[in-house]
Amino acid sequence: MKRRLTAIVCASAFLLPACSADDDPASSPAPAGSPGGVADDHAGDLDVALSEPAEDSVYPSVGDPSVDALHYDLDLTWDPEALVLSGEQELIFRATATAEQFQLDLGEPLEVAEVTLDGEPVDFEHDGKDLVVLATVEADARYVLGVDYAGTPEPVPAPTMRGDFSETGFTITDTGETWTMQEPFGAYTWYAVNDQPADKALYDFELTVPSPWVGVANGELTSRSEDEALTTTTWHLAEPAASYLTTVAFGDFEMTEDVSPSGVPITYWVQPDAAPFVMRGLRTTPAAIAWLEERLGPYPFDTFGTVVVESDSGMETQTMVTLGDNDYTTSPAVVLHELAHQWYGDTVTPADWRDVWMNEGMAMYLQGMWQAEQDGIRVGALMDQWARFEDEQRAEAGPPAAYDPQSFGSGNIYYGPALMWHELRRRIGNQEFLRIMRAWPEERTNTSTDREDYLPWLEEQTGEELSSFFDAWLLGEKTPPRG
Amino acid sequence: MTTEGLTPDETDELAHRARDGDRDALEALLSAVRPRTLNICRGVLPHSSDAEDACQEALLNVATKIAQWGARGRFTTWLHVVAVNSARTTYRRLKNQAVATDTPQLERPDPRTTSVIAGTRLDLLEALETIERDHPQFVEPLLLRDVYGLTYEEIAQQVGAPLGTVKAQIHHGRKLVRPLLRGTT
Repeated sequence: MKRRLTAIVCASAFLLPACSADDDPASSPAPAGSPGGVADDHAGDLDVALSEPAEDSVYPSVGDPSVDALHYDLDLTWDPEALVLSGEQELIFRATATAEQFQLDLGEPLEVAEVTLDGEPVDFEHDGKDLVVLATVEADARYVLGVDYAGTPEPVPAPTMRGDFSETGFTITDTGETWTMQEPFGAYTWYAVNDQPADKALYDFELTVPSPWVGVANGELTSRSEDEALTTTTWHLAEPAASYLTTVAFGDFEMTEDVSPSGVPITYWVQPDAAPFVMRGLRTTPAAIAWLEERLGPYPFDTFGTVVVESDSGMETQTMVTLGDNDYTTSPAVVLHELAHQWYGDTVTPADWRDVWMNEGMAMYLQGMWQAEQDGIRVGALMDQWARFEDEQRAEAGPPAAYDPQSFGSGNIYYGPALMWHELRRRIGNQEFLRIMRAWPEERTNTSTDREDYLPWLEEQTGEELSSFFDAWLLGEKTPPRG
Repeated sequence: MTTEGLTPDETDELAHRARDGDRDALEALLSAVRPRTLNICRGVLPHSSDAEDACQEALLNVATKIAQWGARGRFTTWLHVVAVNSARTTYRRLKNQAVATDTPQLERPDPRTTSVIAGTRLDLLEALETIERDHPQFVEPLLLRDVYGLTYEEIAQQVGAPLGTVKAQIHHGRKLVRPLLRGTT
């Protein structure tokens, strides 16, 4: 383990010139209250993952603000015969308060063999999905939590009325392959996690599965070794991600390489027997990146990829999008939508689920701008079409920013906020709107934030008083009048 | 996340074709609405195997009764009514079995995994069973308003009754249900 931590330090030091030799761990005093804490050695490098964890206002039973996760190291082995996932996890975290216990989420079917804190075995309780660690921690000190677990993961019911999924988390197919989609929660079905989006963290994965299958996850593929029996891949995610944006898939994937016009390396992970439309859809990725970069600035991460799985939905998992294998979920519009989320949703992420409109609204509006261009119509004409059913969606699932918790991900968080952006564009002018659209993810790179930050920022940028405009669009029971 | 594959207009179009006898459209429709149907049933029956049974029954009902969809409102609204009714039928059957064999098959919902909204509570189901005996006409409007969250106008359209009648039914229904719910003051 120590070896891998050192590797991360080197990688980060290389990427972040500010981390100079002055940060030599040997010369840094250990923070009080954590004598001998292994994690202290690497404090500076993990600062990019510091968060202010919070209890979610919509789904308060998931996630726990006692932990600020900084780095998850997940060694996962999948046995497709026995259907057993074995995990060896090391989490570096900051305790947010001095306490005699702290907790993470971990799916009930996963049996925990051992929990350690800074290398020492500690007591724990695993009751339902709550993994409570009975060990004293001090506020702001950093620790390494080890969790060894195994079992057959089970997805959890999703609080949604959508037609394309009803469960989230680790899903096993009829052939023993696996994939996951987990918005608004469900990462805890396959690792011990603070499963709430205010708490971003860095990730490294080591995935082992019988050959010729392979494991795919977020970030950059840093190694691949295989023999007749087993294939192991390692993945490094260089920038912090919310837990709902992680992905892992084990299966018979073939890797195809591509590159964007701007030079972003791309990989596609697709089953050899996939329908021809799958690869045709994925091949629109470089053009979609170019189209988005023109409007939003450089792609925010180092690599991009897509893994195609047996799902009916599509998820903007960070740097490695997870798409279902049907003709809709691999269509160019969906490819573009999930790419748009890399800016709106991934580099800047809602800190609370009540603000999911912040990413879906803009991703949808960008998709609309692109769609109108493809169809040779004005954006306004497409917005008129969307407006026809917007009232109905509010009635069904609530206002976009005060939605019914049991109707997560309904049309109301997509179309209404997209219409709102179009109205704002008409109000402040094209140029100004495009400038602001580009500036937000640039100014909030690698953060989780909310409406209390966003709305005043928009007013400051536009120089306009917009509170009644936002209230009407985000909290109104009906579609506000359109210009 | 991507939007759902079908917009409300597209779902209705598929449902129209299915109603007119297009078997491919019916199959596509059933597979498109299955997760939604399961979720509606889960909202009523907290135990997943019960919800699965109810979902199967609901989809069978959609397939055999789609001609009854009046196309007055959205297909999904009609689907919701069909699904909730299937879930209630399943609930009744389970309860009768439980009485017959004297083994309680319906456990109390686990408060940790059960939402606080009324729709996921067995006590609401029981309350609805109770008011159905004397006031069957209150049940559907009440479900559509307080569980599904439809507006009064939409409910009036769905049940084919005047707006004032629907409002009154919901008002009276709530008054009857409230004292029957657990943990309400």
